[in-house]
Amino acid sequence: MNISELKNMFADCELTTDKIIIKSNLKKTIEFVKENYGFDILKEIIATDNQDKGIELTYRLYSTDDEEDALISIFVKDEAESIVDIFDSACADEKEIYDMFGIKFIGNDELKRLYMPEDWEGHPLKKDYQDSDQRLNWNE
Amino acid sequence: MNYLYFLYIEFLAKHHIPQLFGDITFYIIPVCIIFAVLLVVILALVLFERKLLGWFTQRKGPNRVGIWGILQTIADAFKLLCKENITPTGVNRFLFNLAPILMFVPVLVVLGLIPYSSEFTFMNFQTNLLIYMVLAAFPVLSILLAGWASNNKYSLLGAMRNVAQVLAYELPIAFTVLSVIVLASSMNLTQIILTQSSKGGLLGWYFIPCIIGFMIMFICTLAELNRCPFDLPEAESELICGYNTEYSGMRFALFYLGEYAMLFASSLFIAVLFLGGYLSPFGKYLTSGWLLYFEQVFWLLLKSLLIIFLAIWVRATLPRFAPYDLLKFSWTVLLPISILNLFLMVIYKFITGGVYA
Amino acid sequence: MSKLKLNLGPQHPSTHGVLRLILELEGERIISCEPDVGYLHRGMEKMAEKLSYIQYLPTVDRIDYLAGFFYSELLCRTVECALGIKLSDRVKAIRVMMLELNRIASHLLWVGAFLMDLGAVSPFFYAFREREQILQYFEKVTGQRMMNNYFIFGGVRRDVFDLEDIEKFLDILPDKIKDYNKIITENPIFRKRTKGKGILSIPTALNGGITGVNLRASGMSLDFRLRDNLYSGFDFRPVVLEEGDSFARYKARVLEIEESAKIVRQAVDYLKRGGDLEQNLINPLTIKLPQGEFESEIEAPRGLACCYIKSTGEKTAYRLKWRTGSYYSVNLLRKLLVGEYLNDAIAIAGSLDIILPEVDK
Repeated sequence: MNISELKNMFADCELTTDKIIIKSNLKKTIEFVKENYGFDILKEIIATDNQDKGIELTYRLYSTDDEEDALISIFVKDEAESIVDIFDSACADEKEIYDMFGIKFIGNDELKRLYMPEDWEGHPLKKDYQDSDQRLNWNE
Repeated sequence: MNYLYFLYIEFLAKHHIPQLFGDITFYIIPVCIIFAVLLVVILALVLFERKLLGWFTQRKGPNRVGIWGILQTIADAFKLLCKENITPTGVNRFLFNLAPILMFVPVLVVLGLIPYSSEFTFMNFQTNLLIYMVLAAFPVLSILLAGWASNNKYSLLGAMRNVAQVLAYELPIAFTVLSVIVLASSMNLTQIILTQSSKGGLLGWYFIPCIIGFMIMFICTLAELNRCPFDLPEAESELICGYNTEYSGMRFALFYLGEYAMLFASSLFIAVLFLGGYLSPFGKYLTSGWLLYFEQVFWLLLKSLLIIFLAIWVRATLPRFAPYDLLKFSWTVLLPISILNLFLMVIYKFITGGVYA
Repeated sequence: MSKLKLNLGPQHPSTHGVLRLILELEGERIISCEPDVGYLHRGMEKMAEKLSYIQYLPTVDRIDYLAGFFYSELLCRTVECALGIKLSDRVKAIRVMMLELNRIASHLLWVGAFLMDLGAVSPFFYAFREREQILQYFEKVTGQRMMNNYFIFGGVRRDVFDLEDIEKFLDILPDKIKDYNKIITENPIFRKRTKGKGILSIPTALNGGITGVNLRASGMSLDFRLRDNLYSGFDFRPVVLEEGDSFARYKARVLEIEESAKIVRQAVDYLKRGGDLEQNLINPLTIKLPQGEFESEIEAPRGLACCYIKSTGEKTAYRLKWRTGSYYSVNLLRKLLVGEYLNDAIAIAGSLDIILPEVDK
């Protein structure tokens, strides 16, 4: 994949050894990559809590023609752009990330607690999560 | 039956019991006999089906309670009797309780109409075929009531499906039965059996001229009884248990047993209409005297078991129909064929014996 | 006509576990569908942050109890990739054999369960009869029927034996598949209920993240086994069908059973030649992955499965993420079921081969 072209369009991206790290324009970038380079499957969205750097969202795209992966990653605090318009499968991942990391995806109106109960406090996979819920002490 | 009646009255007169008592009890005793025998037959049928299904699917079937699991269904029935009768909140109590009774009672009456042997019909009217037809369609009312009164969406969907299904499949049955009436020139079940003995043995039975009718009758009976592949109203994988989802304990047992009782009654009905009822397939009976009656009952039960076996075989083989396919199948395939069959039978009757023969 | 809101599940005979579908019906036609998952959530990803890798290994079989080997393999592969461990050929062959046997077992169960959804009882037992032989072999070798915990970082727990059992099974399998074709594939009611139902076009499938057999039944040849190092040297072709309906998905799975049987046969032939089991085992108690991000993927029976590990050089993973195929199938149900009748909806949901522990993780 030609990174320079991408760089021209979105000035704020940088290329590490295996992934493209962007700072903004998430939706535009992914749409661009999908349209122009034939990355037609969104394998998954990986969220990682990097504490002070914020939460890193890595979008793993796959091209069925070239049989190669592309990783696009972005650091967010608690809000991100939703890409459900581009990939339907993103909805599933975004729901899960909302539940586990508490990131609000703007544009996805199906966000709600997925695995955890509706009235659960906190987001379990965040590093600062403390399970203070009394319901966990049921067998003590 | 008249013969038995006089014997009974005479027996009472000998012991100075008024005839009025005899007149009343004479009609109660058969009901009790039917009920007792029916319960045993149903329990045996359930075991029969479970054993057969087990063998069809390379299992052993019930084999723990009693020898070969003979007592399994009795144990199951006992367990159902001991269970709590749960009435969910929000149901219409009166209809909820009425529905299982409505399921079971018509079957008892229907079984009294069947001629088990030449002297053994509990209720022998000139038109007992017609009464059978009316009463056999009764369980649909019970199912509708159960589905509506249960206050459960699955039950309601099951009941809706059942009504549509019975409406669609009752018509081909009517036309097929009509063709048998044409062949026999009678609406009396005993008379229908007797006309089948004309050629002696198997050849005179109506399934030979009316093979199409026999097949339609078999298919439609499966549909009426909600048996596989027409078990939509209680489609387990879709509607959990359909109309009887909310029932438990004895009420559920009534539905469950009612279905098997209806299966038994329908198989007897088909045997009477198409397979010569209690007639021996060899033309003449193997025994004589009072044993003859038992032989006739034996033949009738054998034929009905054969039909039940077919039904179980079908259940072990086929997946379920889709509701719209099911209705389409009835209205566009079965109904025209059954009407055609009726015309064929009229022509057949005209050629072989004349309409007023 | 008024609308009826129907709560299908979480306890329902045909949701294969505890899936809850909130359906809105108009008569029996579905006008909206909303899957609700999470009744089986065990916090697999959170657990990985607390447990060391060898402690975590036995639990990953439970992600998909019908295809536990695949997730075991996936975790082993990720760790091996991070530590740069190379596998010997015999270990590779053993792993391929076990994986493909597991795939056959999983597909066989699906065939039975799918027919159960359609209302036929017998095929369920026929499929279980064949599956039983595979499970008995698993039990013989690994000591467990389902949660095998047989693969370990750098090898397998013990060498395989009694390969004749598998050969015997592979010999009878074609006959049994012929039987299935007679009782299922050629059955007119089955064809009527599955042909043209739940058609999944390639763009919809790709957009919805559908991979594996479901995608291949729609006409796209995408099999991650083809670019998998483990499978190099094995001769097989991915099963690709055109129609994309429930019937194609059924047929693709049955054909894939045959294809997997071929791979197993090759693996068994290789293993029968003998040779020592060379393992590159490492002390599992001291495993520490180097700092960095590691990712591996495998073609599981229900679609692409991925494992992502981010390590900071500790004994435990900093972040571990699973991608499972069924989760995206459930997500697709929102769109696929709209406009279908209730009974077809059950059949379509069944044909996608959804298994709930995989969805909930």
